Amino acid sequence: MAILEVEKISKSFGALKAVNEVSFSVEQGHIYGLLGPNGAGKTTAIRMIMNILIPDAGRIALFGQNMNDRLKNKIGYLPEERGVYPKMKVLDLLVFMGELHGLSAKSAAEEAGVWLERFELSSRAENKVEELSKGNQQKLQFISTIIHNPELIILDEPFSGLDPVNVNVLREIMLNIKEQGKAIIFSTHVMEAAEKLCDEILMINNGLKVLDGPLTDIQNRHGKNSFHLEYRGNGEALKQLSGVRRLNDFGNYAEIQLQDGVSANAFLKQIVDQVEIIGLQTRKSSLNEIFIELAGGGNDHE
Amino acid sequence: MNKILTLIKREYKESVYKKSFIIMTILMPLLMIGLSVVPALLMELKTEKTVKLHVIDQSGLIFKDLEKSLSDTLGNGQKRYRLTLIPSNPQNENTISSEEKRMIQKDKIGALIIIPAAVIDSGSVRFFSRNVANLDLNRRLRSAIGRILSRQRAEKLGLDPQLITRVTQPVKLKTIKISKSGKESERGFIEEYFGTFVFVLILYMTLILYGTSIMRSIVQEKSSRIIEALLSGANPFQLMAGKVIGQGAVGLTQYLLWAIFGIALVLYGGNFMPVSSKFFNFTPQIFIYFIVFYILGYFVFSVLYAAIGALSNTDQEAQQLSFPVVFLLIIPLMLIGFIVKNPDSGLAVILSLIPFFSPIIMFARINLTSPPFFEIFTAIALLVLTIFLLIWIVAKIYRVGILMYGKRPSLPEIIRWMRYK
Repeated sequence: MAILEVEKISKSFGALKAVNEVSFSVEQGHIYGLLGPNGAGKTTAIRMIMNILIPDAGRIALFGQNMNDRLKNKIGYLPEERGVYPKMKVLDLLVFMGELHGLSAKSAAEEAGVWLERFELSSRAENKVEELSKGNQQKLQFISTIIHNPELIILDEPFSGLDPVNVNVLREIMLNIKEQGKAIIFSTHVMEAAEKLCDEILMINNGLKVLDGPLTDIQNRHGKNSFHLEYRGNGEALKQLSGVRRLNDFGNYAEIQLQDGVSANAFLKQIVDQVEIIGLQTRKSSLNEIFIELAGGGNDHE
Repeated sequence: MNKILTLIKREYKESVYKKSFIIMTILMPLLMIGLSVVPALLMELKTEKTVKLHVIDQSGLIFKDLEKSLSDTLGNGQKRYRLTLIPSNPQNENTISSEEKRMIQKDKIGALIIIPAAVIDSGSVRFFSRNVANLDLNRRLRSAIGRILSRQRAEKLGLDPQLITRVTQPVKLKTIKISKSGKESERGFIEEYFGTFVFVLILYMTLILYGTSIMRSIVQEKSSRIIEALLSGANPFQLMAGKVIGQGAVGLTQYLLWAIFGIALVLYGGNFMPVSSKFFNFTPQIFIYFIVFYILGYFVFSVLYAAIGALSNTDQEAQQLSFPVVFLLIIPLMLIGFIVKNPDSGLAVILSLIPFFSPIIMFARINLTSPPFFEIFTAIALLVLTIFLLIWIVAKIYRVGILMYGKRPSLPEIIRWMRYK
């Protein structure tokens, strides 16, 4: 079921069209990747979903209702700009953020306790926020994003500044949330991270939608599926197979590129009857490569 | 509404536990004690030393009577003025007077008074001193010599000495204030000025103090980049309301603490602070008006300061931008002297109705005279209207400003912001 529906939203700042007629929808139980280089319009799009910015045109609906401030309690938003109240105590900050999203002080304190435990921060509950390390402050902010148990979670560059251990912790929690049937919008300019986590992708560049859909579809559609095949047998037979775009045969080693839309599995079914497979390596184009191809390379992503 | 409450609660807790709040809360009463003790001490200081006065009386008519009329004593029973007659004749006059002047230079005597032979006709007397601005002594001398001279002139005309005494009976002017309710209180310019000024100063200081603290905390929230996280739960209007009301509650808390202290001072401090009751002699209505005008003034200025905070990236920038607002508060402060003298003049009435000045000036007028109720009501109504108008405008600026970083916006840009959807 689609919980968020975005229809042709646009937003301009002066002459700059930050977001230009972008549409997409987000379903429960999915991690939705919002991808694009810095300045593509990701944050502007998110701010419109959050009702922080009002779209110049278009419509945003959450749970079938037009977006309004009362629906904010159902969303957990981790902004890219990380900020905390440095002088507040850790627990106080979490309770405050919980209350700000509609929890009672009591249940906010309970939730905060559970999450601090999970992030191994229980011993710091009475410390001032400024006494925590940058990484721990990030964890604190993540907790404050999800403390009110939102149905939709929007994470803007959640991994930036986290060490590998905490990247793993966060990733596990994201998958966990997904299993609970909630939806996550994961905005990032790091395509590799999205590739590993997302089910659905929306790529934008210069405010325009470049491409969207299920990740596997995109990779099948745009990825140049290629194999490196080590084999014994009659190499001539490979040339007769359907779905091959290009074949470089070296006798007992071949580089094969499949046509768009042909799955590797379907192709393999054909070749097992023809030759004996010794070794097989599939190589798919990364989202990065796809993006560069589609956006014409004119971007500054890292 | 719950969100605003949550924001108010946080704002209040953070400010009340802050060191600056605790320091201000303690310092202000100390200042109040200072203000009431220092004038008392100064009055004590007045009674300290006998002043030596040398008199060259060439007319030979004045000295005896002058000594008699300056016969008042100090607290310790000694004479306040000791007069000595310096004999002189037209031949040695110059040497004697230059000798006397040297004594003044060396601070051996307080002053030299030269009364010329023809004083009855000319009425002119010369007074030499290191300090010619001693108002008290000057006034005493002028009136004493004047009275002696008129008596002498009258005697010369052959009037009956008893009649003369009755004619030259000095006037004692006692100033008594009558309020609308018919209550009479003995107050003069100093008391009026002082009493009004203390209240006005507290208004001015707290309006600036809390306005600035709102401005700074918004700049801080901007620079610590927490605004967007807050916007994930609340909208900009709620943020602004939480901030303004939260800080306002902090201010009222501080007033409450001071009021408790002030009441204690009036009830128990009378013994060691005799003047305080004279200066801090106010009716409960004055306190109610004080709180009303504080709250209204607070809303006007805190909203202005909130706009400045939203427009700035650093404290320095905010400081610069806040100058015109401070100016709006300084103008009424500078006019207080005029208002005290002419509280019911046309200009005072107009000034007391202008929304940015009325919190201070209307309050001062209420304190000084009893302005007609419809004037007070008009001032309050205009203030409330201004507050709503300001909130409407500032909310639009605030919404865009808090998410803007980098270059400070120009006026046309700000106007464009206000038109954003």
